[in-house]
Formats: sequence, C-alpha cells, structure tokens
Amino acid sequence: MNEKELLQHYKTSGDLSTLGKLYSPYMSLLYGVCFKYLQDPDRSQDAVMQIFEELIQKLRQFEVDNFKSWLHVYSKNYCLMQLRKDKRTTQVDIEDNLFESEQKLNDTSEVKWEEKDFEKLEGCMQTLNREQEECVRLFYLEQKCYKDIADLTGYDLNKVKSAIQNGKRNLKICMERKENGK
Amino acid sequence: MENNYQLSRIHNYIHGLMSKEEMFQLEREALDDPFLQDAIDGYRLQNGVDARQLSLLQQRLNRRVEDTIATRHAQYFTWQRLAIGATAGVLFVTLLALLYFKHFSGKAERRTDVELSEPENRVSVEPLLDGGDARPREGWKTFEQYLNQESVMSAGGGEIIVNFTIGNNGVPTHISAEGQPDQSLFDEAVRLLQVGPKWQGTKGRLKIVFPVKEEKNSAQLTVIKPPHCFGIEKK
Repeated sequence: MNEKELLQHYKTSGDLSTLGKLYSPYMSLLYGVCFKYLQDPDRSQDAVMQIFEELIQKLRQFEVDNFKSWLHVYSKNYCLMQLRKDKRTTQVDIEDNLFESEQKLNDTSEVKWEEKDFEKLEGCMQTLNREQEECVRLFYLEQKCYKDIADLTGYDLNKVKSAIQNGKRNLKICMERKENGK
Repeated sequence: MENNYQLSRIHNYIHGLMSKEEMFQLEREALDDPFLQDAIDGYRLQNGVDARQLSLLQQRLNRRVEDTIATRHAQYFTWQRLAIGATAGVLFVTLLALLYFKHFSGKAERRTDVELSEPENRVSVEPLLDGGDARPREGWKTFEQYLNQESVMSAGGGEIIVNFTIGNNGVPTHISAEGQPDQSLFDEAVRLLQVGPKWQGTKGRLKIVFPVKEEKNSAQLTVIKPPHCFGIEKK
C-alpha cells in the first residue's frame, strides 16, 4: 500500500498498526523538528509519541490530502503549543516561518517557462537587495552550497540561508505581480 | 528506506561529510521541503543525529501499537464474556418471573376454590362447644368430607342444629333437632349421622348447614347416588 492507501485504510478501519506504518517513516524527521522547537532530547521523544497519540483521533476526523506537509504543520503547531504552555520563550525566526508558510501555499506544479519569463526574472533580480541577489545567484545559477557562498561572500552561514530563502520569496512575489499586471 | 537515507544525509551534512554538490542538492531540496529544513535545523541544534535515540523511539512506537492490539483483544474477549453474562442474566430473570407468576396464579386458583365452594356448594358442619364432647373418630375434616359426599339434599338447603348421644358402638342415637326444622332436613341429618363415621365421646351438638345446591350438582347426585343411597336406606 502506498501512503494514500494506508491513510484511507486507517481512516476506515482505525487499525493502529496501519497508522504505525504511516507514521514511522517520518519519525526521524519529526524528532528533528521537535528538537528544533523544544531543544530537549527527552521532551522531543515524548512529543513524537504524543503527536502519534493525537493522530489516532485526528486522522479519522480530517480529510488529509498531503500527509507529509500536514504532519509537518501539525507537529510544528504541537511543539509551539507546548512552548506556550511552558510560558517559555524561544526565539523563532519570523522570516523562516514566513517563508515556510508561503512555501505551502505555492506547492503548485511546475509552470512552463517562456522566453519572456526569463526577462521578467532578470528584471525581478534587480529588485532584490544586494545580499539576496548575490546569494540567490550563487545558489541557483552557480549551484554553490551554503558553505561555499558563506566563504565567498564572507557572510555568516545563517545569513546566507535566510538571504536565499527571502530572496526566493521576493522573487516569487515579484514574478507573480508582473504576471497579474498583464 | 527513504527515511534512513534522509537521516544519513542529514548526519553527513551536519558533520561536513558531504561533497559540495551533495550539500547543494540537500539545501535545494530543503528549500522546497520545509519539513526537511526544520528537521535539519533541529539536528544541527542537537549537533548531530543520535541513532540510538531514534531506534528507542521506533521501539516505543512498536510497543504502543502492539499494546493497543493486545488491549483490543482483551476488550474483545471481555465484551464477549459480558454479552454471554448479560444473556444468561436476562434468561435467569425471565425464568424467575415465569416461576413466580406460575406459582402466584396457582395459589390464586386454590384460594378461589375455597372461597367459592365452601359457603355455597358444600355442606358444612359446626360443632357447638356447649353441646358436649362428641367428635368424629377420624376428625372433623373427614366427617365434613363424608357429609359432602353423601348428602343428597336437593331442596333449597337450610340449617339445622341437632343434639345426640353416642351409643356404645360409636353410632349417634337419640338424635333430636332444635327448633322446628324442615322435616326433610331433619331426616337427612339423622340418616347422615347414623350411617356415617363412628364417634367418640358421649354427647354431641352440631349445626349442619346444607347449601342451596345448583341444579347441575343435584341432578348429578340424583343420577349417581340413588342406588347406593337406597341400598343404605333399606338397611
């Protein structure tokens, strides 16, 4: 059974071993996600198990199309709720999260690119700030990894990462705006 | 599995064990896959992938799934038992109710018998205490039964008080009636006393009540009884 079939089978049967099969491939990723927010190995493990417990109900109630991204959002929310309960403050990079939530919205399939789109892209590249433009060029056009870019530009690794994420986002916004304006 | 493949990539990425091309590839994937990006961020914070932790986690999940299966089996059997128990309980209560009603209605029948037949259809005898010490040798009950079997009174019934003394052989003699009873009543009383069971004691005083008999009853009696009674009367 593939993931969709497993999901459907669980929804109708409520068979926990099916849910186990569905969940277990994501556990290591989930652990990473939980650690990012909770920053404690034991709590993160517990969170992974607790999320599983919640899925037992939730997956029978809700229609889930894309299990992977649904699970990601669900677990992230779970961890943020945990933190809120603790009244512990954790610094979450707002830029990162903005980027990610937009990412979800733009999961549409590939659009065919034409010559004028590349011109448009070049125009949009000019609208980015220097850092972003530099990093995006190095990453997407020259296919350099973050570390190389950091070495080349002298920027901090995290700065490179967010410059690329934000640059990508801005480019996307720019491209869509021009398309709509037509 | 894809999962482990991703995990070892994350491990290699964090520990700088990847070529630049591989790093770029993973970074590119992560840009399109926020889930992966978050996981990478998390493992980087933890300074690497701890395989032991993850296998423990996998074990916990397995145990959780197995537990539920075991619990479900246990619950299933419990339900089965409960169902059997409940059925047995219902049957038991039904049986009890049936028995109770049977018993109850049987009792009611018997009581009806007594109430209906005694005053109306039966000859009753009442020893008058001031009348002496006489009593039937086989008891009052037997005597009353005898009266009911042998009485052939077909008239409108009636009440008679008789005095008598008991002879040596236990047969009542010197039978006399008090007041002015109907002659047929008196004759019948005398006949019944003389032919009937033996007595003990010396003197007796009785009140005998003959019921108003239903026609059917009397007809039956006249048909069945006469030969027998005539035989006795002749004696």
